[in-house]
Amino acid sequence: MNLFLNQITAIVWKDFVTELKTRELFSAMFIFALLVILIFIFSVNLSVVKASEVGPGILWVAFLFSGTIGLNRSFMLEQENGCLMGLMLVPADRTVIYFGKLISNFIFLSIMELFILPLFMIFFNIDILEHLLPLLFVIFLGTLGFCALGTLLSSLASNLKSRDIMLPILLYPLLVPIVIAVVRMTGQILNGEPLSGMMNWIGLTASFDIIYIGVSIMTIDHILEE
Amino acid sequence: MMNPDAVEENQEEGNILVWLTGLAFLAAMVAIFIYVPTEQTEGVVQRVMYFHVPSAWLSFFAFFIVFICSILFLWKKEREWDIYAHASAEIGVIFCSLVLITGPIWARPIWGAWWVWDARLTSTLILWIIYVAYLMLRTQSDAGSMRARYAAVLGIVGFLNIPFIHFSVLWWRTFHPPPKVITNEGIGKGMDPTMLATLGISLCAFTLLYFLLMGVRVRQEKLKDEIDRLKREKLYSA
Repeated sequence: MNLFLNQITAIVWKDFVTELKTRELFSAMFIFALLVILIFIFSVNLSVVKASEVGPGILWVAFLFSGTIGLNRSFMLEQENGCLMGLMLVPADRTVIYFGKLISNFIFLSIMELFILPLFMIFFNIDILEHLLPLLFVIFLGTLGFCALGTLLSSLASNLKSRDIMLPILLYPLLVPIVIAVVRMTGQILNGEPLSGMMNWIGLTASFDIIYIGVSIMTIDHILEE
Repeated sequence: MMNPDAVEENQEEGNILVWLTGLAFLAAMVAIFIYVPTEQTEGVVQRVMYFHVPSAWLSFFAFFIVFICSILFLWKKEREWDIYAHASAEIGVIFCSLVLITGPIWARPIWGAWWVWDARLTSTLILWIIYVAYLMLRTQSDAGSMRARYAAVLGIVGFLNIPFIHFSVLWWRTFHPPPKVITNEGIGKGMDPTMLATLGISLCAFTLLYFLLMGVRVRQEKLKDEIDRLKREKLYSA
């Protein structure tokens, strides 16, 4: 168990060092998310529509789109110079690679989301501070589900002919349930409803997370195979 | 290598299936257009149901077969299961498209709109996109073990998504008529017996059609493999 955790940490650490050296992924994700929010603000008339009604949807679209950039990079980077081969030659279980990538994707996306949230609060004039804890909980659940399925499909898409196009095509339809759930929950939280009133959505998202992490553990061996 | 006797035997079985399917469809047509009375409130357009519901059933069934064959492929690693999954996904997408086409035809006069964002319409549309992506994935990688493995993973992941889609869009919103054939009062209580019989005949005909198409597609794919093998053997080795 300890060895397993050490191996995962090593992969996460490797991704962090690469990112600290280049700093290209994080800034790209952040600016892209910001642009998505801006474009939506231009396309929706905020003086007519209530900000708390369109806000959650826009926020999550921004998270998902910029998250896709991160996912696309995460395995594509390893394709260069045969790094993926190197990773696979490591005497470790394939699930180690999956969990390492899952955690580093999750952390990158979470940091980006933490930077976006205050901007979201300013642009939409929504006070999120009073509902911060339930909001962070929902963001945690949604981001975990996104990364669980996204990491699996990104490992798969990185070997395809047109990989950066295929990842969103494969990923987005599968993400529909989780998008509906998190947008609903975020909207209800911003309206001041308690978490206990949306247990069905929480259950749906949590079981989505668990089932797709489980499926990934079972199938990752078949994807990362030469 | 295919055994010539086996091919002949398959052919014979295929012929019987062709006849059976043809007869079933003839019966279904007679039942739909002559036997069954026109629905009182909805009028003649309601007859599209006898195509709509069987197509929906067939596409779900086909996607379920994709799921089962994908699991079997990852477990046994035999090309056979990959062929079945591929063929079934193609058939499923065709009938899912038919559902999406017949649905609006029925909805327009009854609901007054081609499309509403109802739970089952939405989930059928998402399902259609998932399996179109599945077929796209197959064109994106070269034939061989990699394509089969990737497609199998997507076949499993995609099918497991169905319950999530179902509940999320159900809680989101729904207008669709509630299930008529299997209701709380028991099987077949919500419908006139003649309509139920017609629907049953139509379901049988479509199910037979599934197996017929499946057989043709699988045979075609196997012949393709055979040709590839012969090419490699005779053409490039000389």
